[in-house]
Amino acid sequence: MNSTAETVPVISKVRLGRSTSSALIGGGIAIVAALAIMPYLLDERFFYHIAILVCFAAIGASSLHLIIRTGHVSLCHAAFIGVGAYVSANVVMKLGFPFVGGLVAGTLAAAGLGLMIGPVILRLTGKYFVLITFLFGEILRMVFVDWQSITGGANGLSGIPAPAPVFAEPKYFYALALLAATACVAVCGRILSSETGRFVNAIRESEQLTECVGVPVIRTKVMIFVIACGFAGFAGALIAHYARYISPPNFGPLESLNLVIMNVIGGMQTLVGPLLGAIFLVLVPEFLRGYVQLQHIMFGVILILVMAFLPAGVVGVKDWVARRMIPHDRRGEQ
Amino acid sequence: MSPLLEVHKLSRFFGGLRAVNDLSFTVSSGEIFGIIGPNGAGKSTAVNLVSGVTKPTSGKVRFQGTDVTGQPPHKLVQYGLARTFQSTTVFGNCTVEENCRRGSYLARYPGFFHSFFSTSKAGEMRQASDSRVAEVLEWLDLHRVRNVRAADLPYGAQKTLGMAISLMAWPKLLMLDEPVAGLSAAEADNVRDTIRKIRAEGISVVVIDHNMRFMAGLCDRILVLHHGQELAHGLPQDVLSDPNVIEAYLGRRYVKA
Ligand SMILES: Nc1ncnc2c1ncn2[C@@H]1O[C@H](COP(=O)(O)OP(=O)(O)OP(=O)(O)O)[C@@H](O)[C@H]1O
Ligand SMILES: [Mg+2]
Repeated sequence: MNSTAETVPVISKVRLGRSTSSALIGGGIAIVAALAIMPYLLDERFFYHIAILVCFAAIGASSLHLIIRTGHVSLCHAAFIGVGAYVSANVVMKLGFPFVGGLVAGTLAAAGLGLMIGPVILRLTGKYFVLITFLFGEILRMVFVDWQSITGGANGLSGIPAPAPVFAEPKYFYALALLAATACVAVCGRILSSETGRFVNAIRESEQLTECVGVPVIRTKVMIFVIACGFAGFAGALIAHYARYISPPNFGPLESLNLVIMNVIGGMQTLVGPLLGAIFLVLVPEFLRGYVQLQHIMFGVILILVMAFLPAGVVGVKDWVARRMIPHDRRGEQ
Repeated sequence: MSPLLEVHKLSRFFGGLRAVNDLSFTVSSGEIFGIIGPNGAGKSTAVNLVSGVTKPTSGKVRFQGTDVTGQPPHKLVQYGLARTFQSTTVFGNCTVEENCRRGSYLARYPGFFHSFFSTSKAGEMRQASDSRVAEVLEWLDLHRVRNVRAADLPYGAQKTLGMAISLMAWPKLLMLDEPVAGLSAAEADNVRDTIRKIRAEGISVVVIDHNMRFMAGLCDRILVLHHGQELAHGLPQDVLSDPNVIEAYLGRRYVKA
C-alpha cells in the first residue's frame, strides 16, 4: 500500500480545472443576469414574451435536472406541468380561489401524483424508466383529452384569468416569472450543493454501492422526484395564468423531450447546463423564424453537433478551453 | 457467548438452479470467517442473501439475535452489517476522501431540511464525519492518496478503499466478496494485513476467496461451498486436508499447493 501510494500522481489539474470552471460558471451567471434585465432595456412586448418563455423553460428544465441527477431520464415531465396547469385553472375558475390558491393546488397536485407513481417507477432503471415515463405521459395526455368537464378536452381551456389584472401585461408578468424561476433554480441549486446532493450523486454513480453504505436509495429518489414534480406543477400553474389558454399538446411528449434536450445541450453535470439549454432552446427557434422550412433541420444539425463534439453539453466548453490552455509539453505530466 | 451472525437453512433458487441450498453457519464476535468454493458455488449469492441484496427463497438470518431476514441493505447497515462487492467497490469519479464521505451517510446526513438550511446539527454531523473520514484514511494507510481520483488508484488500493467506504458506517460485521481477486501477491499481503487491522478493532469479518493459501493464513474458520451446499466446515487445516474437499473441489490443480 505504502509503496504504491506514492507512485500515484495526485491530480494537479484540479486547481486549473476548478478556477476555469468557477470562472465559467460565474460567467454563465453573469450572462443569465444580463439576459434577465435585457427585456427591460429593450422594453418591447415581444421580448418580454420570449423572456417569460425562457423563465418557464428554466423551471421545467432545472427541476427535470434534479431527476436526471439521480440517474433517471423522465419523459413525462411536461405532463406534470400539465397537471399543475389544469388543476390551477380549475381551482381558480371553478372553485373561485385566488391565483395563489391555484398555484399551491397545482404544485401539490403534481407533487402528490409524483409521490404516487415515484415509489413504483423509480425501481426501474435506464431505458425501462424512460419507457414507462413516456407511457405515463401519454396516459396523462389522454386524460387531458378525454376528461372534458375538467380539461375542456381537445379544445382546451380558455379564459383563464391572469394572476391579477396588472399581470395581464407581459412587462409585469415577466417580473413574476423571473422571481419564480430564480427561486426554483436557487432551491434546486441548494439541494444539489447540500449533503442531499452528495448522496444524489452517489446514487447516480452506483445505486448498489450507495444502498449498501446505508442510504435509503428509493426513498431519496422518491423525495427528489416529488420535489421536481412539484416544481413542474408550479411552472404549469404559472403557464396557465400567463397564456390564459391551455390545451393537451402544450404538455405532450414533444414538450417533455424538449426539456430533456435542454439538459443534454446545456450539460447534465451541473445546474448551469439546463439553464443554458433553456435559453438556447427558446431563443434558437426565434432566430430561425425567418426560415421556417429550414428551422427543424438546422435545429437537428445543431443538436447533433453539440452531442458529437460536446458530450458534456455547452457547459463542457470549459474542459475544451482547459485542454487548450495546458501547454503541449506539459501535457504528459497531467 | 451468543454468535454475532446466525444463518439458518438459508436457500435461494434461481428458477431450477439452487444457487444456495440449505446453508447454515454462524460467525462469532471478533472472528475472521472464510467462505471458499469454485466458480458458481454460490459464495456471492450467500453474501447477497445475508446483506439483503438478494431475498432468500427460504431460511433465516439472525444478527445479534434479531431476525433480519429479507431486510433491505440500508437497514442492515444500521444494524451493523456492511459489505463490499466483487466488482464495483468504489465511486471511480471522485476522490478517495469523497468516497469515504459518501460512505458515512449514517453519521453525516442530518435529513433533508437540516442539510438544506445547513443548521448547526448539520454542521456538527459534518464535522464528526469528516474527522472519522480522516481517521479511517489514516488507519487504512490511504491518507496520502486522499485527493486522488479513485479510478486512478492501483487496483489493490481500490480494494482497500472499498473496505474504507464500508467501514465508515462502523459495522460490527464486514463481509468482503473476493477482496484479493486479481491482486499481485504483494498487494494481497497488504489486504490481508488490512483485514487483520480491521479485526483488531473488534470488527468481525467474513471473507470470500478462491485463494487457498491466502485464506488458510487469514481465517479462524472456513466453510467450503459446493453447488450451493456446505461441503466442509471448520478450522483451516482440517478443512483443507478433508479428503472430500480435496476430491470434490480442489481437484488436481490444488493438491500440490
Ligand atoms: N441473479 C441471478 N439470476 C440467475 N442466476 C444467478 C443469479 N445470481 C447468481 N446466479 C447463479 O447462481 C450460481 C451461484 O452464483 P454466485 O455468483 O453466487 O457464485 P460465486 O460462488 O460467487 O462464483 P464466483 O467465484 O464466480 O464469484 C451461479 O450458477 C450463477 O450463475
Ligand atoms: Mg462471486
